[in-house]
Parts: sequence; C-alpha cells; structure tokens
Amino acid sequence: MKKSTKAAVGTLLVAALFAGVWLAERLAGANSMLVTVLEKGAIYALIAVSMNLLNGFTGLFSLGQAGFMLVGAYTYAIFTIPAARRMAVYQYYQGGIVQFELPCLLAIVLAGVVAAAFAALVGLPVLRLKSDYLAIATLGFAEIIRAVIQYDKLGPLTNGSNLLKTYPTFDTALFPFAVAGVCIAVILMLIHSTYGRACKAIRDDEIAAEAMGINLFRHKLLSFVISSFFAGVGGALLAMYQGTVQANAFKSSMTYEILLIVVIGGMGSVTGSVLASFLFIACSEWWLRFLDVETFIGTVQVPLLRSGFRMVVFSVVIMAVVLFYRRGIMGDREFSLDAIARAFSGKKRKGARAK
Amino acid sequence: MSTVLRVKDVTMQFGGVVAIDNLSMHVDEGEIVALIGPNGAGKTTAFNCITGVYEPTNGEIAFGDCIIARSHPTGKMKKLYAGAHADKYLGARVRLSPDKITRLGIARTFQNIRLFKSQTAFENVLIATHLRRTSNPFTATLHINAAEERRMRERAMEMLETVGLADSAGELATSLPYGQQRRLEIARALATQPKLLLLDEPAAGMNPQETDELGAFIREIKDRFQLTVFMIEHHMNLVMDISDRIYVIDFGRQIAEGAPAEVRDNPAVIAAYLGVDEE
Amino acid sequence: MFDRILPYLLAGISVGGQYALIAVGYTMVYGILRLINFAHGDIFTAAGFFMVYFAAAMPLYVAAPLVVVATVLLGFVVERVAYKPLRSAPRMSIMISAIGVSYLLQNLMWYVTGGLAKQYPVLPWISEQITIGPASTKMATVVTPVITVLLVVALVMLIKHTKIGMAMRAVSRDFETAQLMGIKINSVISMTFVIGSFLAAIGSMLYFSNYTTVTPTIGAMPGLKAFVAAVFGGIGSIPGAVIGAMLIGICENVIKAVGYTTFSDAFTFALLIVVLVFKPTGLFGEKTSEKV
Repeated sequence: MKKSTKAAVGTLLVAALFAGVWLAERLAGANSMLVTVLEKGAIYALIAVSMNLLNGFTGLFSLGQAGFMLVGAYTYAIFTIPAARRMAVYQYYQGGIVQFELPCLLAIVLAGVVAAAFAALVGLPVLRLKSDYLAIATLGFAEIIRAVIQYDKLGPLTNGSNLLKTYPTFDTALFPFAVAGVCIAVILMLIHSTYGRACKAIRDDEIAAEAMGINLFRHKLLSFVISSFFAGVGGALLAMYQGTVQANAFKSSMTYEILLIVVIGGMGSVTGSVLASFLFIACSEWWLRFLDVETFIGTVQVPLLRSGFRMVVFSVVIMAVVLFYRRGIMGDREFSLDAIARAFSGKKRKGARAK
Repeated sequence: MSTVLRVKDVTMQFGGVVAIDNLSMHVDEGEIVALIGPNGAGKTTAFNCITGVYEPTNGEIAFGDCIIARSHPTGKMKKLYAGAHADKYLGARVRLSPDKITRLGIARTFQNIRLFKSQTAFENVLIATHLRRTSNPFTATLHINAAEERRMRERAMEMLETVGLADSAGELATSLPYGQQRRLEIARALATQPKLLLLDEPAAGMNPQETDELGAFIREIKDRFQLTVFMIEHHMNLVMDISDRIYVIDFGRQIAEGAPAEVRDNPAVIAAYLGVDEE
Repeated sequence: MFDRILPYLLAGISVGGQYALIAVGYTMVYGILRLINFAHGDIFTAAGFFMVYFAAAMPLYVAAPLVVVATVLLGFVVERVAYKPLRSAPRMSIMISAIGVSYLLQNLMWYVTGGLAKQYPVLPWISEQITIGPASTKMATVVTPVITVLLVVALVMLIKHTKIGMAMRAVSRDFETAQLMGIKINSVISMTFVIGSFLAAIGSMLYFSNYTTVTPTIGAMPGLKAFVAAVFGGIGSIPGAVIGAMLIGICENVIKAVGYTTFSDAFTFALLIVVLVFKPTGLFGEKTSEKV
C-alpha cells in the first residue's frame, strides 16, 4: 500500500473510531455499561501496552505496574485538587502542604514523569541483575510505595491512608481515548525505531545483543523508564475515571490482571494488548456479571451462580489461555493496514512469516 | 604491520578447573589467523575472554592500543589459582563489557548460532547497525532521524548482499538452512563495522563444497572491508588453505604456533590430535 | 527495655519460623525449576481454609492429618496441571502460569468463602496461652522455631542421604544432564512440590494459630516475604532460606516494637533491594554463569 493512501485510511479509521465512541456515548448514555467499558478499556489498554513494552518487547519480567500506576494516580490527584477544596480533602492535615493546582494535562504529564523517576531509582540497582530478580524487586517496590504513601508523616502530601478526591475528572470517553491513543502511538513509534529493534534483540538473545554492541543495561533502563512513564499516565487516567484514589486499591493483584491481559493479547503485540484490554474489561465488568447473580429458573436455583463465580470462571479461562493458547490472541503479530490490504488482495508478502 | 590483538599471559579458571592456561597470542593487521585444537581445548573460552563475555582470571588483553581486559586473581581465586604470573598484572583491573568491545571494533560469530529468533534475516542485520547510531531515543521515536534510518537499512541490505542472502531478507532467520544461518551471522558481525572479525567455527555443519566457498568468501570480505580475521575452525583443509598463521592449543595451553606447513608437521600437534600411546 | 522488646522478639522468631517453612518451598522449587512459584502463598492460605472446613466436620485429630494430605495433593495437582505442560516453554511462561494459578486460587477461595474472613479453629496445646518471664504468648510462638528446625534438619538429611535427595541435587545442578543420566525428572519435581506443600501446611497451622482469621488473600504477603527470605538467604539454599526467614521475622517485629508498624512490610522489600544490589547471590547462594 502506498504511504499516502495508508495515512489517509489511517486518519479515516481514527476519525471513525472517535465518532463511534462519541455516538455510543450519546446513544447509550454516559452512565451505561458500554461507556464504562470504553473508558476503563482505553485506560487499561494504555497500561497493558506499557507493560507489554517491558515484558513482551524487551523480555524483562517486571511486576511493578501497579506501583507505578499508584505513583501516577497520586501525583495527578495531589497536584490537581482545587486549592479551595484542599481544606476539606486534607481535613486531618490542615489542608496539606501543596497549595496550588496544575492544569489537568500538565498534571498527567507530571504523573508520568514522577513514575519514570521512581522507575529509574528502582531500575538502576536492579536491572543489572538477572530478570527473575527484577520481577520480585519491582513487586517489592510496589508494596513499599503503597506502604510509604499511607505513612502518617507524609500525610500533608499524600493525605495518609485517607481518600484523595474532588480533583478534576473527565466527562467524556473521548478524553481517555485521546490520551491513551496518543501514548500508544508514541510507544508504537518507539518500538518501530532502532531502539525498539535493540530491545527486541535483547529479548531474543541477551548475549548476541551485547555482541552486537547493544548496551544491555542502558536499553533495559530505557525500556523500564518509558514503560513506567506510561504506567504513570495510565494511573492518572485511572484516578480520573474513579473520581477518588486510595493507595490500598493498587495491590499486586492489579499488576497480575494487567499481566494476564498482556498474555491474552499476545506478548509482543500492541494491538493484541489493546484488544485484550477491552475484552477483559467487558467480560469482568459487564458480560460475565450474570454469573455473580443468584438466578432461578422457575423455582429451581441455577447451581453455582452466586457472588464470586464470575471471577472463578474468568480465571479458569485465563489459565486455559496460559496453558493451551500460549501465544494469545495475536501472538507477536500486529493488526495493521498492510496486513489487511494483503489479506484482501490475497497477495502474500515476500517471505511472510511461516506461522 | 601493527598488532591488532594481543593476548598476554591469560589464564581463565572456573573454580578449580583451568580452561586456559597462561596463553599468549597476537594477531597482526590484515592477517588471517586460525586457532585450532581438540574439542574442549579452550578455544571458545579464549574468544569469550577476548569479547568480554568472561573476565580472565589473570593476564591482559589489548586491542590496538586499548587494554580491554586486565586482571589478576582476587578473593577466593587467590587460593585456588593454579596458573602462572599471578603477580604480574596487579593494580587496577580493567574489564570492558562485550558491547563496548564491539563498539571498539571486534565483532564475532557464535559456535552455536545465536540469531535473533523472532526476527527476519534483514532485521537481524539491521540490529547490528544500532551501535553506530547518532540518534537518541527521542529523535528516533519521533522519526526525526529518517536519514540515519535510511542509511542503516541500506547498510543492512548491503551486508545481506555481501553474504548472498539478499533474496532471503524477509525470511525468519531461524527458518534459513544451517549454512545460510552461519553466513547471516557473519553479515550481522560485519554490519557492526569491525576491524577484527572473530569467527567461531564458521564451517561447522557445512558440506565440502560450501566449505570451499567459505574460504574464498572469508578472503573476499577480508580484502573488501580491510579486516583482520581470527577464527576457530576444525576443517583442516580450510584452515591450511586460508590462514597466514595458526595457533594450536590443547588443555588450554599453547602447543604450537606458526605457518600452516610448520604446524602440520609438528609432532606435538599430531600427538594432540591423534592421541599418544602413553603405555 | 528488654521487657518491652521480649514479646516482639518472641513473635519475630515465631513468625520467622513460619516464613521459613514457606520459604523452603520457594527455594526448593526455584532451585530445581528456576521458577518463582507465585502460587505457593495461596497454597499456604488454602491449607488454612482446609483446616477451617475440616475442623467443622470432624474431630481435630482426623482433620489435622487430612489438612496436610489435602495441601500436599493441591501442590501436586498444581504442578502437574499448570507447570508440567510448560516444561519446554520459555521460563517467563511458567511464571505467568504461576501467577495465573495464584489468581485462580484466590478467586476460588473467595467464591467458596463468600469473601468473608473465617475463624481458624483453636488447636489444642499450641493455641494455649503461656507466660515467659514478662511476656505472655501462645504456645505456637515457642513451638514454631523448634518444629521448624526439626523439620528442616530432617529435610536436609533427606536431601543429603536418600536417593531421591541425591536426584534432587542432581536436577538442581543441571536439569538436562540429570535427565540424560536417567533421573525421572517429573517425579523429582513432584516430590519437590510435595515437600514444599507439606511444609506450607505445617507452617499454616502454626501461623493461623497465632493470627486466627483466614481470608482468601492472607497468604500473599507471607508468601512474598518468604520468597524475599529465600533470596536473602541465597536462593536454592535451604539453610539460607531458614536463616533469611528468621532474620526477616525478627527485624519486622523489632520495627513494630519501635513504632514503625506501617513500614514493617516495606522494610522486607527494601531489604530485598539492598541485598540484590550488594550481594545478589544472597548469604549462601552460589554464583552461576550462563554458558555461551
């Protein structure tokens, strides 16, 4: 396909997507399940893609995503609560120490920057080690940060273990779509750059990558910091979506969920992660809800259906994917205009992958 | 002629096992030098020391004027050390990482092929152009470095053509036949723009005809890219045919050195290869 | 001062012993499969729930052995179903599978219990209150270190002197060669999980006698800490895991004693990062290098 047609079709598709979201919001109503899924799905898509950059594209097994999201969410909330409302939010800390507010978009960027700074702090010592240790160290970091944020003495900044609230949120699903969309586009561009290729080389074979002159530590750190930046941005969006933030919600199970989304979508596929995010959120928030409701057919109660069954079914499905469908929905392929064009024209790219 | 690579008194010991014992070698500019010896003699270990994968227990390795490794036994090794010259290389230790060494101009291939599995032949070579980049993550991500990106791609394609794999550019690297995978590894090494090329058993798994072609090919790339070549090889015909000099090692120790004809008739070499009747 | 610290010190040794029993499971599995068995903490929790339900249905002297059997069986089944099919897959896949199992077990336990905390049955003798000097504590506190040491010594003997122990050592040293030497890899791995789950079951009885309530996610934290203990002690080393666990248990409780309860969890992970930076092989670990 020609570059110009590709650009035109791409622009058209993006416009259509936004129009679709806008329409869905109008037709289904802002409080409908559909809009919830769209909003949360877009946010999770960004976070899943950021995790995929690490786990799928650089081959680093990191489990710190919830920690970096927490940092992002708190950074956003702390710096955007209107000064006038701080007295009410920080009621136990005399209104807290931050007495100004940043514009929303700037605060989102700052959320990413702070998360990235923490990542550099953790990454510097740990990324020189074997990747197993990274998993446990990042998991540990997430736990530390969760404890530290709730520390009483930091209350004037973080409000201790109390909720942060009344900061600006978004009122349309277009907002998370736009922010997540831009971020994912940037990640895609990075992956397709020479740095992205270097990361993939590290994933495939560290020793060979090093022999090709690639500085392992520097590229791993780069990937880790960038991934955390976008996890931080994702955290800020999640804070906006929820309307309130509390550190205890960012448990390791949140990281596990995101990792499982990445696996379902396919390690090493951005489009897979995006697709899986919407699927995952739709299933857990909407389509499988009926499993949690005690249901009667006539007078007979349908067996098993009660609170919690949804998650059991859900985790069994995930285990099935992990065990029997290890490549996930997309494997390491991408959904792209070229691929579709090829499918339509029936032509195979010369030397197209065998699988 | 200047010396490109100098290995001085290098001993490599893993715990109590001495893999390389007080080995000294040098490779001069423009030479093709072969390193031969029976299986387990320590040849690949020597390459791993030169490329920075291992840190020698003792000794010094220099590339041109630059010392890339310099070490003496420390810690537990002090007691275990069984080699010579333990006091010769005291003082500051030097250990450049493999990527730095590659950037200085030593490229290598691997005995047990190590291609990037999930990527095409072209991408495998393209990755090797990364080290000479001038872009940073920002300019690369935002594609401000389009000119450089184009140069990288051209260079990668040129290297594929050099090794005769241009037609397989889009194939998954690991789906290529064995002999082509070896050549792809050479293309990848060449793309890093080395001065010294280390080939670890380039002819392994090739048939006689391919081996012959390989000999001519090594000469050709040597002249074309003004390389110095240091190779480990078992195919004696190939070694005798293209080498200027040969080092023979056994049990980590040098047992002979010299021109092909000298080495061929050396009784110690024949003994090492055929075994000596000790009774 | 000592009077004030003593109860915390006792608690530390006791918690340390319980962590140790979990940590051994981690360290053995890691030693053999190079797998961080994220589900191990949930198997520990499951042992807690087994006791809750079994004790409600039958006398304790029947329930207790059954708990051990059920936990061992669970560990065995998890390995066979979730890890064995991935033997030749990349290591990351097995770890993801472990996370999947952890997720599944937690959700399953939530479903079965309805998400409510369950009261752990009072075990005779080890739940009794006793007084040591100025400190009043439960028998479990005193018994734990003793039981831990006995079990670990027995385990070390098993590994040193029996045929299966020798096979385990061989497999952890070199998986493939061991296989070539005719060692039945699968039975060795199963045995590792059986031993790990057995110790987790004993650990859970001691742990919950002190803490008395069981919730579906309660095992996650002790599980992670036990893993940190294993890394601290040098992963793959059983005595290392025990000593690491004891140190972590004591430090944690001393931190609580001086009034920084919020940080007792954070401390463990900070310790982990410090250890990884300065001595990645842990206290007793061996250095391994990749073959090129």
